[in-house]
Amino acid sequence: MISTSLMDEFRSIVGNEWFLDTPEDLATYSYDGFLPEFRPDAVIVPGKTDEISKIMGVANRERVNIIPRGAGTNISGTSVARKGGVIMAFHRMNKILEIDPENMCAVVQPGVVNADLQKEVARYGLMYPPDPASMYVSTIGGNVALNAGGPRGVKYGATKDYLLGLKVVLPSGDLIKTGGKTFKNVSGYDLTRLMCGSEGTLGIFTEITVRLVPLPPAKATLQAIYSDLDDAAKTVSAIIGSGIVPTTLELIDRVVLDVIRDYGGAEFSRKAEALLLIEVDGEEVSVLTQGERIEKFCREKGAIEVQRATSPDEAEKLWQARRSAFGAVASVRPSCVVEDATVPVKRLPDIIRKILELSDKYRVQIGILAHAGDGNLHPIFMTDLRDKEEMARIDKAMEEMYEAAISMGGTLSGEHGIGIAKDRFMPMEFTGTAIELMRRIKRVFDPNNILNPGSFL
Amino acid sequence: MIPKSIAEEFDQCIKCGLCQATCPVFKDLLLEKFNPRGKIQLARYYSQGKLDLSDHYRDIFAKCLLCGACVVTCPSGVDLNKVFVSMREEITTKRGLHPKMEEVVRSLLVNHNISDEDNAERGGWRDFLKDLPEHMYQKDRAEVVYFVGCVASFFPMAQTIPQNLVRILESADVDFTILAGEEWCCGFPLIGAGVPEKAREMAEHNLAKVRELGAKKVVFSCPSCYRTWHEYYETDLELFHSTQLIERLIKDGAIRLGEVKATVTYHDPCDLGRNGGVYDAPRQILKSIPGITLVELENNRAQSVCCGGGGNLEMVDSGLTGTVAQNKIEEIKRTGAKTVVTSCQQCIRTIKGRARRQKADLTVYEITELVLQAISRG
Ligand SMILES: Cc1cc2nc3c(=O)[nH]c(=O)nc-3n(C[C@H](O)[C@H](O)[C@H](O)COP(=O)(O)OP(=O)(O)OC[C@H]3O[C@@H](n4cnc5c(N)ncnc54)[C@H](O)[C@@H]3O)c2cc1C
Ligand code: SF4
Ligand code: SF4
Repeated sequence: MISTSLMDEFRSIVGNEWFLDTPEDLATYSYDGFLPEFRPDAVIVPGKTDEISKIMGVANRERVNIIPRGAGTNISGTSVARKGGVIMAFHRMNKILEIDPENMCAVVQPGVVNADLQKEVARYGLMYPPDPASMYVSTIGGNVALNAGGPRGVKYGATKDYLLGLKVVLPSGDLIKTGGKTFKNVSGYDLTRLMCGSEGTLGIFTEITVRLVPLPPAKATLQAIYSDLDDAAKTVSAIIGSGIVPTTLELIDRVVLDVIRDYGGAEFSRKAEALLLIEVDGEEVSVLTQGERIEKFCREKGAIEVQRATSPDEAEKLWQARRSAFGAVASVRPSCVVEDATVPVKRLPDIIRKILELSDKYRVQIGILAHAGDGNLHPIFMTDLRDKEEMARIDKAMEEMYEAAISMGGTLSGEHGIGIAKDRFMPMEFTGTAIELMRRIKRVFDPNNILNPGSFL
Repeated sequence: MIPKSIAEEFDQCIKCGLCQATCPVFKDLLLEKFNPRGKIQLARYYSQGKLDLSDHYRDIFAKCLLCGACVVTCPSGVDLNKVFVSMREEITTKRGLHPKMEEVVRSLLVNHNISDEDNAERGGWRDFLKDLPEHMYQKDRAEVVYFVGCVASFFPMAQTIPQNLVRILESADVDFTILAGEEWCCGFPLIGAGVPEKAREMAEHNLAKVRELGAKKVVFSCPSCYRTWHEYYETDLELFHSTQLIERLIKDGAIRLGEVKATVTYHDPCDLGRNGGVYDAPRQILKSIPGITLVELENNRAQSVCCGGGGNLEMVDSGLTGTVAQNKIEEIKRTGAKTVVTSCQQCIRTIKGRARRQKADLTVYEITELVLQAISRG
């Protein structure tokens, strides 16, 4: 609990209106996109960097936990007050400070919504490539803290590939600047990259400089349906092996396809065992030939149906199945747990087979969505949280899945982060020495362990 | 107690937060409690006994346009609107009316309309019409009843709508009547205020009056009346929005339209489009008028953004309504059109009101106004 005088001190920094402690406010900042909920002691909504420095100074002095929060869409439980404390929300810091077309970069405040930035830079003929499926609500601050990726990741990579510089308030309240507007920068340790993916545990980003690329003039969208999962996997290998770099290569398995069909999300053959959604972008001419080549690969590898969109409306229709997937799956059982196991692309069929095997072995319903082009899987466990026995089986299945992914040279998380969702699996991927090193890094930045404590470390 | 069907709705919520993207209220107020997701969680916490119904809680639920944008955005199929309306009822039952809605509810119960005036004045808009027929549109029997609605009956800025519509119907020889003083509020503001049982009384009265006239069809110029009849009246009468009837009359050749030269954009009223499923009729009408070029808004049809006039919000926070209306005007301006057409008296009031105050270079037409112009040139 926080004393009244301390509350007043926080209040005096941001003003009465932006320090929240009503039961309604505490309740609505007790969750994010993951399952467990923790009621914070207060919520603070700063308006500028200077206020954040002051808040951190006080918090550090008084040992008050501060938990940064963007839009609260993460699905690993990293923006909740697991150990109590104050949620710091960035809603007000939502300004695009600068778009610099000559240097191909933009400077933004942390609360800017990803899609708002996309829309603004498009007016300059530019694009900000990271496009998490949550882009219409998730913030650049949250994207950086979780190193978010998206469907375009196959070609363009993730947030870390576009992050140039940061202004960071440290837990002590001190402000540092890392990186800048240049694409090249090798001075000292790469603190910018260290911050990227730090899950709100090392510092608070108050200004973010990102790299932009030219907006590609054209794109082609295809959908291929297979009656055999292996044929879909072979198509993925064929495309990647051919030198074509698609922006997007999404795979949906039969379990999810069935659910989408029942839900009325889209129609496809009852024989469908897998669906691939493929997109390429670039110059008009090259996109056209790439589209044709991909269509050929799909047919050669045994697709039972291939569709190539000829207009943006048709492309949007092809995306419909993928977009309705989460909702459709969520409607099957009371709860769903979205996982994030990732393997080298070539091992994709192996990990999928393993998951199907685990689904049988532990009698749990698992649907698979995958960013197939970069080996990033989203197995979705359909369940009921209140069913302890089933949750125990799910836990076992998950553990075996992650063991398999790591033995294939993969990782626990491709893009969603560790948070409180997967902290227990960290020793699978890292030796004790590596984990201890991370803990020591954390202590250097945050000796009093006040910034998002209890998350992943 | 929260009905089980409502609890099922919030159990369906996976807390993904995507509904925030299209909420016009969140865009301005920014805090999670005003996020559609936030209100769904507040409802859940209350139903689980973890939160009480405070004045603050009531105010949060009142700051919502009931526009339904969140409903079409939710990937998980949560019927947020149903939860919000039920919660308003629960809050009013347990904690009392929102103080800012007391006045209108009192007036509705006493006068059967949302203004302060005697309901006998409901037909007052006719006084300004020239060449009024002898029956003054009040007949003993008719095929169609035109249900005018409170706003268009009493608010000067909206009275042109019934004035235009009766002219249009007349020109097409439609056998119609109005209920005048016997028309009561459809009950929509009562549902929004959390007293749906009072809306039932209104419904019963209105249904009885229409039946007395032997009418089989009811036409509405107000999208919210249209929606309320559809959703709450449980009747087999044929219900039309004015745009649907006009579209049919054009198709049947009963109305002939002359040229009106203008580039216009169209604003889909929430209760007509998203919540009523009528998107094409108004667009067909605009297409039928020679000389009209329609440019769509960025967010059109199901994605249309509320004008700010929904959900009784204006009574509770007129400043917020103004901000939402301002955003609407900005979106309209971005189309390049200097004229916006819509088919709802409430949208007219909010958009026109705001545009006037801002001295914006914008003409705001209710669709009947444009149709009548075209008829006069036909
Ligand atoms: C439907 C759905 C689809 C999704 N799709 C994708 C996807 O395709 N790819 C993907 O990578 N993720 C995806 N996610 C996960 C999530 O949206 C992303 O991780 C996103 O980056 C989180 O951003 P946020 O603004 O919601 O941040 P939050 O969830 O609020 O916070 C995330 C982390 O960032 C920290 N943080 C926030 N702001 C700051 C700051 N200013 N300084 C320091 N730390 C900060 C928080 O402490 C927390 O650790 C999806 C989620 C949902 C619900
Ligand atoms: S109904 Fe409209 S105003 Fe209300 S929460 Fe949904 S989107 Fe927001
Ligand atoms: S979009 Fe639907 S599932 Fe997601 S938070 Fe909103 S109501 Fe819940």
